[in-house]
Amino acid sequence: MNERYLKYGLLAPALLICAVTLFYPLVQSMMYSLHDWQMSRSTVMGAFVGVSNYVDLVLHDPDFMGSVWVTLIFTVPSVLLTMIIGLALAVLLAGSGKLQVNARMLLVIPFAMSPALIGISWRFMLSPEFGIVDIILKHLVPGMGDTPILSNAAWAMVALILVDVWHWTPYFMLTFIGALASLPQETLDAAQVDGAGSGRIFFEIVLPQLKPVLAIAILLKTIFSLKMLDQVVTMTAGGPGSATETLPYLVYTTAFRYYDIGYASAMAWLLAIVMIVLALIYSRFTMERKP
Amino acid sequence: MKARDAKQRGAGGALGGRPRWQTVLIWVVTIIWFAPVVWIVATAFKPRADVFSLTVFFKPTLDSLLAAFSPPYLVGERLWNSIVVTAGTLAIALPVSTAAAYAFSRYRFPGGQAWPLILLATQFLPPVIIVIPLFVVFKNLDLLDTRLSLMIVNLSFIVPYATWMIKGFFDALPPDMEEAAMIDGASRLRAIWEVVVPVALPGIAAAAIFSFVVSWNEFFFALVLTRDHAVTLPVALMSARTEQGDAWDIMASMGLFIIAPMLLISRFVQRYFVKGLVSGAVR
Repeated sequence: MNERYLKYGLLAPALLICAVTLFYPLVQSMMYSLHDWQMSRSTVMGAFVGVSNYVDLVLHDPDFMGSVWVTLIFTVPSVLLTMIIGLALAVLLAGSGKLQVNARMLLVIPFAMSPALIGISWRFMLSPEFGIVDIILKHLVPGMGDTPILSNAAWAMVALILVDVWHWTPYFMLTFIGALASLPQETLDAAQVDGAGSGRIFFEIVLPQLKPVLAIAILLKTIFSLKMLDQVVTMTAGGPGSATETLPYLVYTTAFRYYDIGYASAMAWLLAIVMIVLALIYSRFTMERKP
Repeated sequence: MKARDAKQRGAGGALGGRPRWQTVLIWVVTIIWFAPVVWIVATAFKPRADVFSLTVFFKPTLDSLLAAFSPPYLVGERLWNSIVVTAGTLAIALPVSTAAAYAFSRYRFPGGQAWPLILLATQFLPPVIIVIPLFVVFKNLDLLDTRLSLMIVNLSFIVPYATWMIKGFFDALPPDMEEAAMIDGASRLRAIWEVVVPVALPGIAAAAIFSFVVSWNEFFFALVLTRDHAVTLPVALMSARTEQGDAWDIMASMGLFIIAPMLLISRFVQRYFVKGLVSGAVR
């Protein structure tokens, strides 16, 4: 009786907020994607055009396909590097020694930094005249010459990837440290007694047991990489040319620089569909792991 | 990759001590990772000339900070906007999420356990998909460039995460707790408030830290929805890119205010923020 109202009453505010700020916009942007709407010309949504926005995107839009490619070039290395370095650092910093504990605390600061600030800061440090990292790099890497890093298509992408790795690695390191700590100690001890080297112990005993955690971590990082946007805006603005114009950035400029709302929404939904598939796989994983 | 040795030694590290190369490696990694943060903070205190000449040793000054507070940068107002938006977001999100988390944890709903997970899964979608319709709505309601609009969009990602985090803590508490209180005559609501919430306070605090970090650092929604009055600190960074070139001294001063709270709570950030992001989903 009373209990029943209470149960829904407790839930109502949260559901209301999610309905207004999540579900409504999702449905609405799906609607936009099926209509023609140049907001610079009209303040109301234009004619229904079916799936033609989607068809145009996939079949006739080289900018979109270019952006898909840029997104992939960014995502694959950023995921792989974050995993490898995150795992290496986890092994290095797993102990409870004072040095390790303090190192972990400092490492996590970049992760808690605003992505916008990260982008601007690295733009500063990579800038050709006053950038400290720019100067250090040009002394260390002989072939770089005088190219301003962020004005060179390939280097700008490398910089964007490495900055993203710098940002995310501490987080996955901590995740892996947690996973390492929950491994059963007996198998490790037994292997050590058997005289297995630490390299063999890591690759043959530790790594296989980390597989489920690694799978989820790779999935999550892929999702985070696919939606990465703040650093593109603040660090490279998609440039030089369109060398770092990832999908979220292209959606952003299409919607808020050219005000092509229908087309931008269709693009956003194409990206979202990929994410939904990944999210479904993710929830399958978590559901299984938490009965 | 010699790093792999560390785990085994690390486990028994308290006894055996670690090899020297490992200590060196830890120092190198830490310096590489943390140096950029130091550099930005230091830049905020440099005289303007030194910012553009790469001096490592300098006489600290507050000139850049003072310049950032005066027109056209007005860091004071941006800072206030950030504070109001973050405080407002937390004031709404925490009670709402706590209530929802309790409901999800203790009652059965049609659709069952899927609901909190669906809420969490929406966060995997690109934020840009949500901001287009919200931009239109706020434009029609004349709410563009207001702090209220920013609080509303911030709720869209904080409520799902915070609910999920706090639910994890409620799940770990035995239901007999509030039932015992109810047998003593307290209503369910009072039992929640007086018995359950105090015990779950660490969980709610964790959600609060997480929400604070995310809301304080939020950039993209604010970039789209604000122009002038409601501009927050992260968006203000963009205004340091002027036609006369990038004003790095101003940028660093703004950055200082964005980082400062994170440095102050860094101990908690490691413990709670990182957990919050996927909140136990990985374990």
